[in-house]
Amino acid sequence: MARNRITVVLSQAQGKHPAKRALEESVVAALLMEPGVEVSVVPYLYDLGPDHTGRMFLESVRGDMVLLSWLFPRAAFWILDRDGIKGHWGESQLKSPHADADDDEAKVPEPPKGIGALDVPNRHIYALDMRDFNNHEVYVEEVRRIAAECRERNEKKQKATTPAAPASLVQLGLVTHDEPPAPTRLFEPEQMLQAPAGRRWYPVIDYSRCTNCMECIDFCLFGVYGVNGEERILVENQDNCKKGCPACSRVCPEQAIIFPDYKTAAIAGAPIGAIANLKIDLSKLFGGSEKDAVSQAVLERDRELVAVGRDAVGTAVGLPKRQMQSSAKPKDDLDSLIDALDSLDI
Amino acid sequence: MTEPLTFMMGKFPAPLQADRRYCKNHMWCQAAGEALRFGFTTYAVRLMQDVYFLDWEISEGDTIALKQKIGHIETSKAMSDLFAPVAGTLVRFNPELLNDPSAINVDMYGNGWLFEIAGSDAETLSMNDYHAFLEAGWEKTQNMLKGHM
Repeated sequence: MARNRITVVLSQAQGKHPAKRALEESVVAALLMEPGVEVSVVPYLYDLGPDHTGRMFLESVRGDMVLLSWLFPRAAFWILDRDGIKGHWGESQLKSPHADADDDEAKVPEPPKGIGALDVPNRHIYALDMRDFNNHEVYVEEVRRIAAECRERNEKKQKATTPAAPASLVQLGLVTHDEPPAPTRLFEPEQMLQAPAGRRWYPVIDYSRCTNCMECIDFCLFGVYGVNGEERILVENQDNCKKGCPACSRVCPEQAIIFPDYKTAAIAGAPIGAIANLKIDLSKLFGGSEKDAVSQAVLERDRELVAVGRDAVGTAVGLPKRQMQSSAKPKDDLDSLIDALDSLDI
Repeated sequence: MTEPLTFMMGKFPAPLQADRRYCKNHMWCQAAGEALRFGFTTYAVRLMQDVYFLDWEISEGDTIALKQKIGHIETSKAMSDLFAPVAGTLVRFNPELLNDPSAINVDMYGNGWLFEIAGSDAETLSMNDYHAFLEAGWEKTQNMLKGHM
């Protein structure tokens, strides 16, 4: 029955890294044998433009979905959201081996501060990070677990909407609520391999963090951001964004702006509460010149302005005063971090 | 023969080796065939702790300038851009670290070496000078670590 099937989409890595390809192939091979699982392969999710067949396929998936990608789950989830492929956040049980052991206690879920996603349909999207493990079994196991979890959830939902005794017509109407069509497998993995997308670069907003404060739209001078009819911030012109420039992400007070391909984990969409936010930047010590986030953002923006023949604006445009003066950060984090440094025995 | 020195980071020792030279970006430098081999000192590794990711932004054969940004490292407690310790030509990266950077923690003066550069070590420091450099900078470094957070 279509309702009991789960769609697994594997988004390939950029380039042709043999180890990554090998893992992708073994995951797909194993999932093809898995009952109740529809598996498809698309190129690197972040690069898929609106006309790409891979993206259209993703748009056609109706039920619960697992997305395997070489991206942080948060990044993958919010890229999909921006593409109109929406769902509720499915919590994976796979924990990155790179996360700190004490992450769990730090993960007391804070009440969401952000404005949230719009028009979320009644399904879950699970994003798994292919960089976490190099054994395909781990992913297959997790897909099985997720499939079972979704089955259970959907059965419960069905029960909740199916009255024990025949009740009003209205409720009966709900039950027949359209069965999601089984997504057809449009592409064989072989075909997808031949359809790589050109590389793209644009910000992705995590609406679970975004408070609609508009600092990004004030800061970016390239017209990347816009607002919709309800004055909600959105990444309007993705391809206006300047490749390699993550400046708006640095000025975002909630760290809600993700550049999935950026080198530092915090900007690329590392999990909420991950230690990445508390890491010391040793760049100055290791030979770089130290810059705080805002001055770095200003430099990056000026570089891009000059590159397109415009004048550098420095700190004159789009910076709230609040950020200009504040460098105060919680003292506790600092202290415990220094303590942690000291307590380590090498 | 010079005796090895140990720099005390507070109460924690950061041993230096007498058989090589040092750079102000906390790398050691030692001749390896025609080239110079570089790696992190214990001082650097202690500040970073467990290395998670190591990324290089340049390729073997590239010409690099002193202090040019060449890569990025992320560890359990820190992250940092990495900069060229000397000018020259990049000969090769330690292939072993590309898959698993943990040798940096296990054997930073040996198998955990980072890369080899064809260039001159004229600008590098002797062990004694590096030790003095650490001494001179220790208070500032502590302030930086505390102030930065």
